[in-house]
Amino acid sequence: MATVIEETTPSRVEAKSAARRRMTFAAVLIAIAVALPLIPPFNGQDYQRLLVTGALMAAYAVAFDFTAGYIDIVNFGFAAFVGIGAYTSGLLAVDLGISPWIGMVCGALVSGFVGLLTGMLTLRLRGIYAAVMAWFVGLALMGVVRNLPDITRGSLGLSVPLLLNTSDNLPYYYLVLGILLLTLVVLMAVIRSRIGLAFRAIGQNLAAAKASGINPTRFLVINFTLSCAFAGLLGGFYAHYYGILTPDLLATSHTVEVLAVAYIGGRGTLWGPAVIAFPLMVVTGLLQAQLASLPGLELVLYGLLLILVMVFRPTGFAGLVTSAANRIWRPRTDAAETAAPTA
Amino acid sequence: MLKLTAVEAGYDLLQVLWGVDLHVEEGEFVAILGPNGAGKTTTLRSIAGFVPPIHGSVTFRGKELRGTLPHQVSRIGIGYVSESLNLFPSMSVYENLLVGAYTVKDKSAVAATMDTVFELFPRLLERKDQLAGTLSGGERKMLAIGRGLMPRPSLLLVDEPSLGLAPIPTLATFEALKTLRERGMTILLVEQNVNTTLRIVDRAYVLEQGRVVLEGTGDELLGNTHVQEAYLGI
Amino acid sequence: MTTTPAAAPTNLRRVPLAKRFLTFTWLTVGLAIAILVFYTFVQPSIVVDTLVTGGMWALLAAGLALVFGVMNIPNFAHGEFFMIGSLTAFFVFSPLQDAMFNDPAGTGLLKIVAPFPGMIAALIVGFAVGAVLEVILFRPLRKRSRDQWVMNTFLLTAGVSVVLINGDRLIFGNDFRGATRYWDVRPISILGTSVSVDRIAVFVIAMVTILLFSAFLLRTRTGRAMRAVAQDEAGAQMAGISLNRIFVLTMGLSCALAALAGASLLWLYPSYPDVGLQPLYLAWYVVILAGLGNVQGAIVGAFIVSLIQTLTVTYVGLDWIDVVPTLFIILILLFKPSGLFGSEVKGVWEQ
Repeated sequence: MATVIEETTPSRVEAKSAARRRMTFAAVLIAIAVALPLIPPFNGQDYQRLLVTGALMAAYAVAFDFTAGYIDIVNFGFAAFVGIGAYTSGLLAVDLGISPWIGMVCGALVSGFVGLLTGMLTLRLRGIYAAVMAWFVGLALMGVVRNLPDITRGSLGLSVPLLLNTSDNLPYYYLVLGILLLTLVVLMAVIRSRIGLAFRAIGQNLAAAKASGINPTRFLVINFTLSCAFAGLLGGFYAHYYGILTPDLLATSHTVEVLAVAYIGGRGTLWGPAVIAFPLMVVTGLLQAQLASLPGLELVLYGLLLILVMVFRPTGFAGLVTSAANRIWRPRTDAAETAAPTA
Repeated sequence: MLKLTAVEAGYDLLQVLWGVDLHVEEGEFVAILGPNGAGKTTTLRSIAGFVPPIHGSVTFRGKELRGTLPHQVSRIGIGYVSESLNLFPSMSVYENLLVGAYTVKDKSAVAATMDTVFELFPRLLERKDQLAGTLSGGERKMLAIGRGLMPRPSLLLVDEPSLGLAPIPTLATFEALKTLRERGMTILLVEQNVNTTLRIVDRAYVLEQGRVVLEGTGDELLGNTHVQEAYLGI
Repeated sequence: MTTTPAAAPTNLRRVPLAKRFLTFTWLTVGLAIAILVFYTFVQPSIVVDTLVTGGMWALLAAGLALVFGVMNIPNFAHGEFFMIGSLTAFFVFSPLQDAMFNDPAGTGLLKIVAPFPGMIAALIVGFAVGAVLEVILFRPLRKRSRDQWVMNTFLLTAGVSVVLINGDRLIFGNDFRGATRYWDVRPISILGTSVSVDRIAVFVIAMVTILLFSAFLLRTRTGRAMRAVAQDEAGAQMAGISLNRIFVLTMGLSCALAALAGASLLWLYPSYPDVGLQPLYLAWYVVILAGLGNVQGAIVGAFIVSLIQTLTVTYVGLDWIDVVPTLFIILILLFKPSGLFGSEVKGVWEQ
C-alpha cells in the first residue's frame, strides 16, 4: 500500500515541534552530505566517485518514487527516460557543439515531452498493465537507440564532452548534490501543493478521487511527465560526468536498480530513497572494488534487500526511521491512544 | 453435531459477531434469520473457516474448528454453499460437480453422488455440458448446492438460497432442501425470507446486531410477537 | 442481477457464423494463418522458422500465463528459469558429450539419448526452484497482505530476477556455457529448406510437452483443481482444495516448463547470467497479446509473435527482431489490453 505516513498530531504545539524536528533532521543530513567528501576516508577520489554515484542514484530514486509512491504507477521504463535525456544532451554537444549545461536542460525537456506522450498513451491503463506498457516503451526506445548507429553510434558508445573542465570528482559531487536537492525541493513542493493532494487521492482510491471531481488522467500525466523530465535532467548529468553513453543505459535492469533503491528507502516518502541511496551505493561500490573476484555480489544484495522489503517491511527504511522517531519522541502516549485505529 | 459458543468474529477493524451461541443436532434443519448486517453470513463464514473467530469456539462433533483452513473444514464433512455461490464460470456444469468431488478418490462413489444430484436437480442434467457462467440464476443456485453435496458432507451450510431469485425458482430451491433433509442431511440455512423458512425448518435462531436474540421451533417463532412485528409485518 | 431463467443461457450457435469470425481476434489469427499458407509456397523457410521458435515461446508463455491465471503473479523472473534450465542441461550434457567425443565408435545409443537427461534434470531443477520460491516468498507475502498483490509480486519477482541473474554470475561467472549441437546428424529437408535435427527436435519436444500439459490441465483431477483455483479461489477451497498445495504445484510447473525451454535451446542460447532476458520479453509479448492468464491463448499467441519475429528478420533486419514485436505489442496494449483471446483478469480498465 502506498500509505503516506502522516503523523497524527494531537495538538498544534506538537505539530510545530514535529515540523521543527523534521527540519533539523533534514539540515543535519544535508550538512553530512556536504561535509562528507572532505572528511577522511571519504576525501579520496575513489570515495568521492562513489558519493557522486550515490547522489545520482538518490536523485533517480526520488524521481522514480514521485510516480511509484504517489500515483501508484510503477514506471518500468524509467531508465529509458534517463537515457533519452543523456543522448539528447550528448548528441547536442557532439553534433551541434551546444554547451552541456544547455544540453542538460534540453535533455530534461525532451524526456519530459516523450514522457508526456507515453503518459497520455499509457495512463489510461492501471496497475500491472501500465507498468508493462512503460516497460515495453522503454525496450522499444532502447532498441531504437541501439539500432541507429549512424546517429547514436550504437553499442560502440558515444563519447561526450565533460561538463566541467576537470577530472576531479569533488565539484561534480557538489553539482549532483545540488541537482538532488533541487529535485527533492521541487517534487516535495508539488506533493505539498493542491496537485499533490490530487496525486495522493488518485494513488489511494481512484474511484473516490473521480467521484470528487478530480480528472485522474490529467494529474497522472502531469506527474509522469514531471518525473520523466527529472530523469532526463539526471541523464544529462550522467552523460557529461561519465563522458560515454551506450544503449545499455536504457536497459530495464537499471530501472530495477532504481526501483530497488526507491522501495528499500520507503515508497511514497521521497526522502527515504534519497537517504538510503548514499549508504547503498557506497557499500555496494566498495564491495565491487574489494571483491572483484565475486562479480554480481552487490546486485545479489540489492535483490535480496528488495525481496525482504517487499515481503516483510513494505514501508522500507523510511518506515523504520519513522517508527523509531515515534518511539523516541512520543513515549508518553496513553494506552488509549495507541489502541486507536491509526492504520 | 455443530456447536458455536460465544463466537466473536469480524473483518479487520469491523467486528460483526459479538458472542453467538447456537447448536445444530444430527439430522436437524436449522435456520438463522435476521436483518441485513446482523452477521448471518459472517456466522456461516466463521464456521466454514473463511473468517476465523477472534474469541469463542466452534466445534463439530466435539472437535474444535478454530484455526482450521476452509479446505480442511470441507474435508471433515461440512459443505458450504456461499451467498455468491463461487462457481467456476468457465467450467461446464459437469466439471463444476467433478471439482466438487475433489476430495473423493473413489470414482464410482463420485458417479453415484452425481446421479443423486441430477435426480434432485434434473435441470442440471439437461445443462450438463453448458458453462456455469451461462446458467440462469436458479440453475446457478442448484449447481452450487449440487457442488456442495459432491463430497458427501454430513452438514450443509446454505447461505441465502433465495437471494436474487424469482418466486418460482426460490420455491424449487426450498423444495430441494426439504428433500435433502428428509433423506437425513443436516442443514444450517441462512435466510431473509422469514415466512417460508419458518414453515420448513425444525428450529431457527434470530440474529440481530451480532447476537442471538431469539431461538425456537418454526411454529414458536411464527407466533412470536417480535418476529411478527419485525419480520412478518403483521 | 438479472435472473430471468429464460433469457440467461446465451446460445452461441445462434450468432451467424460470419459475424462470429469477423472479430478482431479471428481476423488476426486468420491473417496469421493466411500468411503462413502464403509462405508455404513462396518462401517455406519462414514457415519452418515460425513453427520452430513458436513452439519454444509457447512453452515459455504457457507457464507465464499459468502462474498469472492461477496465482495472479506477473512473473518478471520467468526468464531466469530459462537460464536455470540451460545451465542444468549444460552440466548434465557436457560430460555425456565428452564421453561421446572420447569414444566415437561405441556410443550409438548414447548419441540419440544424450540430450534427454539434461532436459529431464532441467524440468526437475526448474520445478524445485519454483516450488521453493512459492514457499519462502509468495506464501509469507500472501499471509502478510494481499493488498495490491499483483503489483507487489511483480516487484518481488523483479528482485528475484536480480538475485538469480547475479547469483549465477557470482557462482558460475560470466562465461558462456553451451553446446554446438545436440544431435550430430545431417540436416533434413522440409518443404525444400534444410532444417537441422536439433530444430526439429525442439519443435517436437515443445509440441509433445504442450499436449501433455493441456491434457493435464483439462483431464486430470489436479489440473482441474488448478483451473478451479484460477476461476474462483473460495469456491475451490469449499471443494476441499488446498490453495497452498496448488500454488506450489503451479509455480513449480510453470518454472519447469521455462527450464525445459532453456534446456532444449542450449545449442542456440548458451547459458550465461542474463540469457533469460530475451525469452522473458518474448513470453511477456505473448501473454499480453493473448490476454494475461489465458493459457490456451498463449499457445496460439506464441506462434503469432514468432511469425512477427520471423517476418521482421526477413524484411527489416536481424537487429530489429525485438523492436518490431515490441511496437506491435504496444499497439495491442493501447487498443486491446485484454488481449486477443480475452483475459480472465479484472481491472484492466480501472472503473
